[in-house]
Amino acid sequence: MDQPRHESRSAGFRIGVDIGGTFTDVVLLDEADGNVEVVKVPTVPSDPSEGFLHGLDVALSRFGVAPAAVGFLVHGTTVATNTIIQGQGARAGLITSAGFSDVLEIGYQTRPSLYELAYSKPTPLVPRHMTAGVPERIGPEGEVLVPLDEEATAAAARRLVAAGAEAIAIAFLHAYRDPTHERRAAEIVRQVAPGIDVVTSSGVCPEYREYPRTSTAVVNTVLVPRVAPYLARLETRLADLGLSAPLHLMTSSGGIMTSDTAKRLPVHLVESGPAAGVIGAAFVAEDFSDPDIGRRILALDIGGTTAKAALVQDGTPALAEEFEVGAAMVPHSTAARGQGYPVKLPVVSLVEIGAGGGSIAAIDPGGALAVGPQSAGAVPGPVCYGQGGNEPTITDANLVLGRLNPDFFLGGALKIQAEAAHAAIDERIARPLGLDAESAARMIIEIANAKMIAALQLISVRRGIDPREYTLVVSGGAGPVHAAAIARDMAIPAVLVPPTPGLNSALGLLAADIKHETVRSVFRPLAEIERGWLDGLLAELTQAGRGLLAAEHVSGSCMSVICEAEVCYRGQNYPLRIPVEPGHDGPAEIDAAFRAEHERAYGFGSATEDTALLNLRVTAVGRVDRPTLRKLAPRPAGERPEPASRRRVVFDTATDCPIYRRADLLAGDRIAGPAIIEQMDTTIVVPPKAEARVDAGGCLLIVLSDSAEGGRNHADQSR
Amino acid sequence: MQTNPADAADGAIARPDMDPVTFEVLRNALINITEEMALTIRRAAYSTNIKTRADFSCAFFDNGLRCIAQSFAQPAHLVSMATIAPAAIREWGPDRMAPGDAFLVNDPHRGASHLNDITCISPVYLGSRRLGYLANMAHHVDVGGSSAASLGVNRELFQEGIIIPPTRVAVGGDIDRNVLGFLLENVRARRETNGDLRAQLSANFVGQRRIAELAGKYDPDTLEAFFDELIAYTERWTRRDIDRLPQGTWEAEAFRDDDGFSDDPVRLKARVSIGGGRIVVDVSGSSEQRASPINCTRAMASCCLAFVAKSLVSQEISLNSGFLSCIEVVGPDGLACTAVRPAAVVGGWEMGQKLTELILLALHPALPEVIPASGKALIVNLGFGGQDPKRGEFYCYMETVAGGGGGRPASDGAIAVQTNLHNTENAPIEEVEMNYPIRIARYELIPDSGGAGRFRGGLGVRRDFQFPDADCIFTILSDGRRFAPWGLAGGSEGRPARYVLDPDGECRDLPSKVTLTVPRGGVVSVQTPGGGGFGPAAERDREALARDLRNGYVSEAAATDFYGLDPAQARAIGAREG
Repeated sequence: MDQPRHESRSAGFRIGVDIGGTFTDVVLLDEADGNVEVVKVPTVPSDPSEGFLHGLDVALSRFGVAPAAVGFLVHGTTVATNTIIQGQGARAGLITSAGFSDVLEIGYQTRPSLYELAYSKPTPLVPRHMTAGVPERIGPEGEVLVPLDEEATAAAARRLVAAGAEAIAIAFLHAYRDPTHERRAAEIVRQVAPGIDVVTSSGVCPEYREYPRTSTAVVNTVLVPRVAPYLARLETRLADLGLSAPLHLMTSSGGIMTSDTAKRLPVHLVESGPAAGVIGAAFVAEDFSDPDIGRRILALDIGGTTAKAALVQDGTPALAEEFEVGAAMVPHSTAARGQGYPVKLPVVSLVEIGAGGGSIAAIDPGGALAVGPQSAGAVPGPVCYGQGGNEPTITDANLVLGRLNPDFFLGGALKIQAEAAHAAIDERIARPLGLDAESAARMIIEIANAKMIAALQLISVRRGIDPREYTLVVSGGAGPVHAAAIARDMAIPAVLVPPTPGLNSALGLLAADIKHETVRSVFRPLAEIERGWLDGLLAELTQAGRGLLAAEHVSGSCMSVICEAEVCYRGQNYPLRIPVEPGHDGPAEIDAAFRAEHERAYGFGSATEDTALLNLRVTAVGRVDRPTLRKLAPRPAGERPEPASRRRVVFDTATDCPIYRRADLLAGDRIAGPAIIEQMDTTIVVPPKAEARVDAGGCLLIVLSDSAEGGRNHADQSR
Repeated sequence: MQTNPADAADGAIARPDMDPVTFEVLRNALINITEEMALTIRRAAYSTNIKTRADFSCAFFDNGLRCIAQSFAQPAHLVSMATIAPAAIREWGPDRMAPGDAFLVNDPHRGASHLNDITCISPVYLGSRRLGYLANMAHHVDVGGSSAASLGVNRELFQEGIIIPPTRVAVGGDIDRNVLGFLLENVRARRETNGDLRAQLSANFVGQRRIAELAGKYDPDTLEAFFDELIAYTERWTRRDIDRLPQGTWEAEAFRDDDGFSDDPVRLKARVSIGGGRIVVDVSGSSEQRASPINCTRAMASCCLAFVAKSLVSQEISLNSGFLSCIEVVGPDGLACTAVRPAAVVGGWEMGQKLTELILLALHPALPEVIPASGKALIVNLGFGGQDPKRGEFYCYMETVAGGGGGRPASDGAIAVQTNLHNTENAPIEEVEMNYPIRIARYELIPDSGGAGRFRGGLGVRRDFQFPDADCIFTILSDGRRFAPWGLAGGSEGRPARYVLDPDGECRDLPSKVTLTVPRGGVVSVQTPGGGGFGPAAERDREALARDLRNGYVSEAAATDFYGLDPAQARAIGAREG
């Protein structure tokens, strides 16, 4: 049986490898029939490439695929993040303008936690004795005030190398305006110390504000000597295997880049994992048979300790312009800066909150019921795991309500102590509040849901987005348990559950485009800019972007370019991004679009105030064909899905609820709530007054019949 | 203080009278609304002080004028806003307000800290029913007065800038051009002030929409019941935490260097009592208010106490009237820390920073494992302005500079941070140089500025300002040259502040309160204090000391003199890094 399949499997495979903290997921897609196979192996923290190759090997041999048949390989990795968080970055040096070498020590000078008397700043990635200031100075107009002292630069490089620097960052003031000094200094360092990795701030992040720019360059610098060899080792071993497809990496912004670029710019990999999850959500939504469903989505991933929410429009995730690596959680307010190391690069915009399956419920000292952010984690875990946890968690509450099956945790692999969960909720929550255990469990769930709703509101309502026009795409082991209730409360009409919600990130790797962003500082009044000059600059940046794509073998027909102008009123600092469409009407049109957008965003604008163009931002996109997933067989006429069992499940009231197995479902099946659908990696809760519909592509759409008021009803919409 | 959820089993806890789910949902919703207002101000503002340094705060008040929710705020705005907004609303009269109205007020003697903080207040309605008030307070770069940035060494408030009593600036959603025009005519940075005021109005506009949405969803009666419960809940939790602190009375005194006119130090006394679920500070015995800018208002003194109290109770406790009702500053009016009209107050921030350290110092015997040595204990107000030759307009700019945090019972003081009441970001050098005719000539740590100790004080910062294109009117309104940040438990003092004209040439020391004309090309060097050390220096971990030496936080001489390191050994560690 294997032999003929092997023959037919000699070409046209794509592979995505997502390395997480615990598991390495390998997704293998047969382009011929859209079949997706999945392999999960343990991650090898000491050498992630081992887990990578092991998983790859298992996948190739299990499904009888020749290595040479793999045409496309994408890798999502936490190697960059972990290197920073674990303090394993390279010993690096930093050369700055003289008088400013303490830029990392001083940072923003603020405290993220105002009332913590024992607060300390994060330890700088480059210690003070590994920094050096050299005489040179460029002014804000790009004018040379002090020429570069080349002798001092060479001396600084020698000293840093003698002190053990494996890599050197160069960050001079106003280098975003004129990178000449940085480039010359880099040449000098390379002459003094051939073979050392040299990074310039203008080469990584040519944007103004010295601390975030320097920090971005330094994060890149400490990563290069760790990430580049990892990728090189991986490539060698892949070649040894006979796998010759170029290796691509998922970036923080949800695009992919070649390993050659990633070796130079590993700072782009910092949010690789979370980005892949959002792209995965975007992909399954796009793949859904009703194209309207995928157009606007809110992606929600609920894991063990946190939940992450992101917004995707027309397949493109919303991006943030800056983040901090090493911060405990992604903050949603710029006021809380200073917890980690700033990276000023586009990143998939996520709001992360401390609420997941393991979040602990407790009565706080003021007497209110609080859920999270403390988590029982994997050890001791929820009370029901019987591993010593005695504080009730969200998982325990779901168990008490019958929403989780005590005999089917991880497909029955974990023996669950339902009574202990019940007792813990009763003793610690229900009795102090004067309730019974089930009511207390319902409140725990509702409060957890409220937190996730707050996170979803931050990325939707707070940005002028009406969630009623969106579909909630849910992933993570705990996601489908809560999603329908969350959607109902926000009047979101439908929830999309991917075929394997726990493996969505790996799938996302196969659905991302190649992206290159180029930024050019302008800093001129818009009124002074001539149309011809602007067109020339846009053409230059466009050509540069297309050149990068061509070097990566992207064909011209797959290329597209997005241009944006960053505009503000003179004196403002946070510009608005104004799209510049091909065939635009020049600076006057950009000016008018900005004034209108400012009025919309802030409720006031001005017709007369001067405007300024800060940056032009050009993103070259190399479109990668989306995989076509294999279709589920339709349910034969006259048949209907049968529940595997029934049990007592509490919604508003207790019901005798049918329990289905996801694997038994076929295309076109409709299951009216209340119902529970179980699969290996998650449990899907279909509440009363909702219906689960199985799509041919394998996704499941939960349509909420009473939450579409004021919004659109996806299911009945004809296009 | 971190809360252990297990404490919940405590018998003293009452439970909220409201459905826990509604309570939690509304609590989060209100905080999110004030945060959204904050984001709006920040992104729409013009002046560096607001847009980059985030010197503003937002809050919501109910019809009872209780502060219900605050954004992540400048601690120094905490009590000010909770005092001045209710005072202004009462004075104007809630019944004379209508939807779309907005009011400005900045008079420190009505319950704020200085004229630069302009508070913008808007009533919020659902239909015709008033739900409460939104307020935001932002530090404006200039409100007129004797010198640029409204920082000056003056004798009375009238010289410090334009005084705004509660004044209606918007009627039915439209800006009153008479009021706005009158105001703008009295400030130096018209364009920035105009943009910043609009950003403030914009924030209230956003907040109004959100509060009305919330009331539409939950109905106003539920919302009002929630306000009552939130305040009661917060007060319960705060009192419970205060009851767990050592109970008793402790006192201490400290001095500011001078008042800017005479060299007579200004005394601060604090008698701190913890008991009955409250923390009360009696400032009796402090110096009388001076005819100088060093004074601070009682609202500012209350901010100091609020900061300390908030640091000693659970982090999760919300900042609202329930918390504020558990603290009080007592003592007569008319002291340098309870100043009344017509006292000048713009330098009172330095009084506030010292009073905060003093309250902590008084509590050191009670909480020896918690209280740090003194940090920089300064804001370091710097204001400058002049003619911008390139743009042909008057510019006006202000900054404050970080310094060292105090050494702590179990860790070194933080390096180069804003301390206690103060948490504004630094202005990026590239942004300053792009927007103003100023060059930053140096920005670095000051070696040996952190007081020696088992746990070293954090290092102070040196920031040199140069004026390459034209003369500049430069004001320093600070302190800390004479009385250094104290060490604790045997730790040494931090290095005091220095303000130096022409640091690389004539090197003339400047007073801490002065307005001077810096000639074109001149340089002013601002050198902030390091924090005090904690514990005897001889007990410092030798590896930590070696690290300090290697990194140049501590010089070889100081390692020998203060830490008793063998000179040869110090040299060897220093030499290892060449």
